[in-house]
Amino acid sequence: MAHDSVEIKPGVHLETATFEGKNKVMGFWMFLGAETVLFACLFGTYLALRNQTVNGPSGADLFDPVLVAVATAILLFSSLTSVFAMMAMNKLDKKGMLFWLGVTVLLGLSFLVLEIYEFIHYIHEGHTFMSSAFGSSFYALVGTHGAHVTFGIIWISTIMYQAWKWGINTETAPKLFVSSLYWHFIDVVWVFIFTLVYLLGMVG
Amino acid sequence: MADQNTSNTQPPEHKPESKMKHIVSFGAMILLTVAAFVLVLRDVVPVVWVLPLMLGFAVIQVLLQLFTFMHLDQKGSFYYILFIAFGVMVAVISVTGLVFMP
Amino acid sequence: MGTLLIMIVFGLFFAAIFTGGYNNTLIQRARKTTAWDWLTSVDHKKIGVMYFMAGIFYFVVGGLEALFMRYQLLVPGNDAFVGRTFNELLTMHGTTMIFFAAMPLIFGLINVVMPLQIGARDVAFPFLNSLGFWLFFFGALLTNMGWIFGGAPDAGWTSYVQLALNEYSPGPGVDYYVLGLQIAGAGTTMSGINFLVTILNMRTKGMSLLRMPMFTWTSLITSVLIIFAMPPLTIALLLLMMDRLFGANFFDHVMGGSAVLWEHLFWIFGHPEVYIVVLPAFGIMSDIFSTFSKKKLFGYNSMVFATSLIGFLGFMVWVHHMFTVGLGPVSNSIFAIATMLIAIPTGIKVFNWLFTMWGGELTFPVAMKWAIGFIPTFVIGGMTGIMLAAPPADFQYQDSYFVVAHFHYVLIGGTVFALLAGAYYWWPKMFGKMLSERLGNWHFWLFFIGFHLTFFPQHFLGLFGMPRRVFTYEPNVGLEYINQVSTFGAILMGIGTIIFAWNMIQSFRSKKIAAADPWDGRSLEWATQTPVPFYNFAQLPEVRGVDAFWLEKQAGNKEMTPAEPLGKIHMPSGSHIPFLMSIALFVGGWGLIARSWQIGVMGLLAFGVTMFMRSFDRDHGFYVKPKELLDKEAKS
Repeated sequence: MAHDSVEIKPGVHLETATFEGKNKVMGFWMFLGAETVLFACLFGTYLALRNQTVNGPSGADLFDPVLVAVATAILLFSSLTSVFAMMAMNKLDKKGMLFWLGVTVLLGLSFLVLEIYEFIHYIHEGHTFMSSAFGSSFYALVGTHGAHVTFGIIWISTIMYQAWKWGINTETAPKLFVSSLYWHFIDVVWVFIFTLVYLLGMVG
Repeated sequence: MADQNTSNTQPPEHKPESKMKHIVSFGAMILLTVAAFVLVLRDVVPVVWVLPLMLGFAVIQVLLQLFTFMHLDQKGSFYYILFIAFGVMVAVISVTGLVFMP
Repeated sequence: MGTLLIMIVFGLFFAAIFTGGYNNTLIQRARKTTAWDWLTSVDHKKIGVMYFMAGIFYFVVGGLEALFMRYQLLVPGNDAFVGRTFNELLTMHGTTMIFFAAMPLIFGLINVVMPLQIGARDVAFPFLNSLGFWLFFFGALLTNMGWIFGGAPDAGWTSYVQLALNEYSPGPGVDYYVLGLQIAGAGTTMSGINFLVTILNMRTKGMSLLRMPMFTWTSLITSVLIIFAMPPLTIALLLLMMDRLFGANFFDHVMGGSAVLWEHLFWIFGHPEVYIVVLPAFGIMSDIFSTFSKKKLFGYNSMVFATSLIGFLGFMVWVHHMFTVGLGPVSNSIFAIATMLIAIPTGIKVFNWLFTMWGGELTFPVAMKWAIGFIPTFVIGGMTGIMLAAPPADFQYQDSYFVVAHFHYVLIGGTVFALLAGAYYWWPKMFGKMLSERLGNWHFWLFFIGFHLTFFPQHFLGLFGMPRRVFTYEPNVGLEYINQVSTFGAILMGIGTIIFAWNMIQSFRSKKIAAADPWDGRSLEWATQTPVPFYNFAQLPEVRGVDAFWLEKQAGNKEMTPAEPLGKIHMPSGSHIPFLMSIALFVGGWGLIARSWQIGVMGLLAFGVTMFMRSFDRDHGFYVKPKELLDKEAKS
């Protein structure tokens, strides 16, 4: 509770200044541990089923390196802007933080648009959720990642609103910090998706 | 429950993080990504080497992400590192099981 | 039409919440009721009691299902519960006992006892704790709704695919399993995170990790297992839902899917799950042995090491459930060796318990009887486990009653005995009353003898060739007599449970408040008052070693030395949001079961809305002032 007893000044780790904050950050790391295993199971499923195309198009036929490169660059860049936002938060620079978070959200949105475009394109090529085990496992893995991105966008926007209204304090700082961890984690998952789904798919 | 013991002490101040560290780390990530793409799109190495190298790049990139962007290099991260390491172990075992024992 | 109706009701419900268009005086009155108090409570002791009572309820439900099955198997060619009904009974018996009886009973005890043992005033995430309970509650309810609406799940608690796909399990049965467990499982994961952070972050002054009571240690390892074992189940259920509801092809081999995939995912979860339910049992036993032997636990450090090692190895043995799938001799051998390795830390534990009693000042209240009954029973289960861990032998035993006997020896002899021991041991702290020792003795002996009569003969049923999960058998092949002994034993267990229920009722009706420290206990929970005040400790205690309270008593102190001056205490306020969140998922889940994706999406959206409600809820709890504390202390 010590919401009132912590002096708010630049350079203080506001996110872990209170007991609630410490608990929240630790709890979130545990959650990320669970998410690691969750995605691992989806990766395992995909890798086990990726050659079961049942006469449909295979990864080598479908995946477009340019599209994947752009998506990767967008997500990687948004990870960097998210770090900048956290650095601004530590300096209690509300404006700067909101700016960088805004950029992060916009990059996230453009990633999502790209992904939706990609999915629509695949469906036209006859690669759907129901077309084969390859299709099902591909959309389950990449779709779950996309759902995480969507949730992250909504979440970060909400907390941006709260930070804008309530300021940077021991209540909002843990939320901001934790949501940025989440955003980095999404990028971590994507690193493996572009490696094990797209690049591996192009190798065949 | 912040009233519990040590919670009311002021958190230690820390040196402001340098933006450079993150930018350098970001640059390294971009390079690793490009390297992985090059491996696949150009025949630089024999095909058998592509997957292990690609995975190696991905792992390095993720470690960079964890230890710079996600601040695992800071003090007090021991439990987080332990926990994520165990999670990664379970993850690797599960994936290996799913892929190699169909 | 039905869809529309539900959508309207649901819409009005949420409109009322947001516009405040409800009857305010009614709400004010409702807020004063006891039901509202429990529904919105974030107090770990109340949540623990709710977990415990829900667990007891499902334990009785699962027990009835078992009795029905034993009745069907009493004579060859019986026609009481045949075919699909029998399949439903056996599926729901397994599912209920594992997910809705064993786990909530364990979570109940962890919730009540663990924060007291580490000297905390609450758990790390009180809100999440409440949410975890309500998600479990509504998930369990949803799974059991199948009995009334459209048929219960009938593909076995393992729900193996092909069988569990639409083609072979038409109707909503398996959908209840999938969505009910998904919702309950989300709650379980949250509780795991909550317990782990509580233990790591909220220990009182001096309570280092290696001074924690064994029950807290096993709770810690169990929480870790929960966090890493639930995701594979989540994914398995997600994939099965996709296959059943949305036409995906994960498991359909015609479209390139793989049935083995389900088995892997299920058992990557399923084996750690065994340790999730059995490790806290070991913890309970350790605390009880040490208390009733009046001795420090023998080999405390090796106990901690053994617990951690079991948790670690627990993730590397899942294939022993799949020896007959045909994964090849290499896989089978590796996993057989890993499985047998687990016998080593388990053996360390058994010897430590024996040496704890050796030379101790033994007393035998009911809790201790359960603990002593547990050792030989669990060891028998362990030995048949070693037999099953050898692949060539497993090819003979698999899918026979031998397996049934084995895992009931482990799960009843290990987990249920420990939970009942824990119930007798911690009852005074949970409810402020004592359970009758006289009735408890009846309960113990009937249940213990009944258990061995039921399951010991089942080893031989298996060896004589009776397959599990089959609803009848031929006369004159030598199976009747053994089956009848088994059914007779099950009836004894049933009578024992009825006596336990009577004992509970008697204790609730009794006016006599239990002593604060009835067993001459060793750990911090016995240093609190009975009934435990909602803030647990007016002043947090300072811990000076293992068995903190015992040390103080030995030093001649009546109470723990406080670690802080009397000051104001911060406590979280109750919240009704967890209940709303769980209802939203319950409705959404049921919508999907009824194949109405509109209601499903609405439920998810409503869940999202409640998340916003939580995020914008700026209630930071309240303070208890030192004066109020002193008044309360004086009163008690």
